[in-house]
Amino acid sequence: MTPVLLFALLLFAPEDLPKGEDVLAKFVEVTGGRAAYEQIRGSIAKGTMTISGQNLKGTMTIYESAPAKQVTLVEFPGIGRMEEGTDGTIAWSNSFLEGARLKLGEEKAMAMRAANSQAKFLNWKKLYKSVETMGVEDVDGKPCYKVVLTPLSGKPDTEYYDKASGLLVRETATVPLPMGEVPVALTLGGYRKEGDLLMPHTLQQSLAGQRIDIEIDSVAINPEFSPKRFEPPAEVKALLK
Amino acid sequence: MRFLALLPLVFALHGATLTPERKQSNLNSFEYVWTTIRDKHWDKSLDGAEWKAVHDELQPKMEQAESMEAARRVLNEMIGRLHLTHFGVLPGDVYSELHGGAEGMDVRIINGRAILVRGKHQGWEVEGVQEAIAKVEKLYEHSTMRELMVSRAVAAWAGAHEVTLSNGHGERVTPELSEFAQHGEPTTFGNLPTQYVWSESRHIGNAGYFAFNMFFDPGRLIPALAASVGECGKCTGFVIDLRGNPGGIGAMAMGMAGFFIQQQGELLGTMQMRDNALKFAINPRVPAFTQKLAVLVDGLSASTSEIFAGGLQDLKRARVFGSPTAGAALPSVIERLPNGDAFQYAIANYVSQSGAVLEGKGVKPDVEVRPNRASLLAGKDDVLESALQWIKRPL
Repeated sequence: MTPVLLFALLLFAPEDLPKGEDVLAKFVEVTGGRAAYEQIRGSIAKGTMTISGQNLKGTMTIYESAPAKQVTLVEFPGIGRMEEGTDGTIAWSNSFLEGARLKLGEEKAMAMRAANSQAKFLNWKKLYKSVETMGVEDVDGKPCYKVVLTPLSGKPDTEYYDKASGLLVRETATVPLPMGEVPVALTLGGYRKEGDLLMPHTLQQSLAGQRIDIEIDSVAINPEFSPKRFEPPAEVKALLK
Repeated sequence: MRFLALLPLVFALHGATLTPERKQSNLNSFEYVWTTIRDKHWDKSLDGAEWKAVHDELQPKMEQAESMEAARRVLNEMIGRLHLTHFGVLPGDVYSELHGGAEGMDVRIINGRAILVRGKHQGWEVEGVQEAIAKVEKLYEHSTMRELMVSRAVAAWAGAHEVTLSNGHGERVTPELSEFAQHGEPTTFGNLPTQYVWSESRHIGNAGYFAFNMFFDPGRLIPALAASVGECGKCTGFVIDLRGNPGGIGAMAMGMAGFFIQQQGELLGTMQMRDNALKFAINPRVPAFTQKLAVLVDGLSASTSEIFAGGLQDLKRARVFGSPTAGAALPSVIERLPNGDAFQYAIANYVSQSGAVLEGKGVKPDVEVRPNRASLLAGKDDVLESALQWIKRPL
């Protein structure tokens, strides 16, 4: 390293970065606090999903029950119903368009982690080997902590937390689908309160060159679920026989 | 998005001298085509020096082009350096002659004549269309797309003229226009124009038969196929008829193939895009149909139809009957150039699981059978009959 470059680096030494787990803890704090999270047993989020480039708009409902149960239903006119979920044991997807399949390996692990997001914030060691702050990067002009979460198995996810607000504003990951590994970026915004928690209501997903906009209209906290709500559909059950 | 392959073309516009404005619009078109290919082609190496060299070599030729014919020759020379179909420039007036018209007319060229292959006047000839056929046949002389484009030209012609049909035995009729109107359920999908989608399901002897006009409206078509396969539990074979089917939503090929595949992990093929590759993975449906599967195709079967037929043939799951397909498997976009011409470019490449390229080649049937006018007039379908004979034959 040349002396000039070394001098320059000394002049512009990186700031002390908070630990990754502290960034997660700050997020919990600014969005309602640990106690509020611990009271969440489940939720139903309803909204819309729009594939901008193709002028397609559908409805979306996400059912979640702690720990690790989730079903997402999406229905687009002209395509029909698409659903995916996990009951905590298996993970699956099903649609008119592509049929039913079980998620396996890394894709399954990723689905299980996504369904257990509460654990990520309250007890990250259940899901990840490490959570490290790698630096500060701008997202939409705002400096954010870049946090890399390395799961117990699989590829790391990267999350960006706004330095000023502490809110999660961006996630990037590589999703292992049967169609191939697909890089996905998710931008989160429109935070507002649902019950005691501050939650994002606008999500913009970039996937394989497509932009998908999700608007969450309502979130019901701790609803009553039918015992069958998280059972896989018949097409998926048939794959298990 | 349309699926229309264009080859380098020679256009006769009699060498009319261009105005300075027209010359400038041709130069702008040159830059537009060159930049679009550089920025949107799935092969990112086109960002490099080789493609720049093509620009620098041909741009002076475009500056010197004194006619639209010469300008198009330069554009097509540039595009020709890619050695790919689905890239090309077509004069604006010809582009218009290949679209619209009697879109419900199902016609094929048999022995140089435009013959209806379905409907009330099956086997009858559309008269007076020879000039339009000859023009488009010349344009697509060396293209696997010839049959598809000629058929479109006939439909476009029929929409603009009073149609007379003859049965070759002295009978002539002027059909009602409604005979050639599109039929099926009107269906919209995002930005695409309304499409009319129909399907037909029946049993023929001990075989199931399912035909549909395009890979569209999955919410209706896929349950219809599911019901058709479900009712065929004791069938000894199943026929999927993709003749005349121009394709549509690519993902439907995977979803439909799943009714005939038991094994997990099978692929119809892989689509290579600029930033990633998408594998066309098949999700087996339970229970899958495991008896003989025949797929019927012809020169008008394109795009998703070819991915479906070629993929299942490649997996040795289906036996393909009919005539070679259009060789137009790539998703492509058509845009108007500053000079008014139409520029088509593909946004992805596609290869089957074994590495076979469908583009510009098409699916070659295992059993080649072409429609015969006498059979059509007698209400017969030689291609379907051939598939049914194979199904009847013991393994």
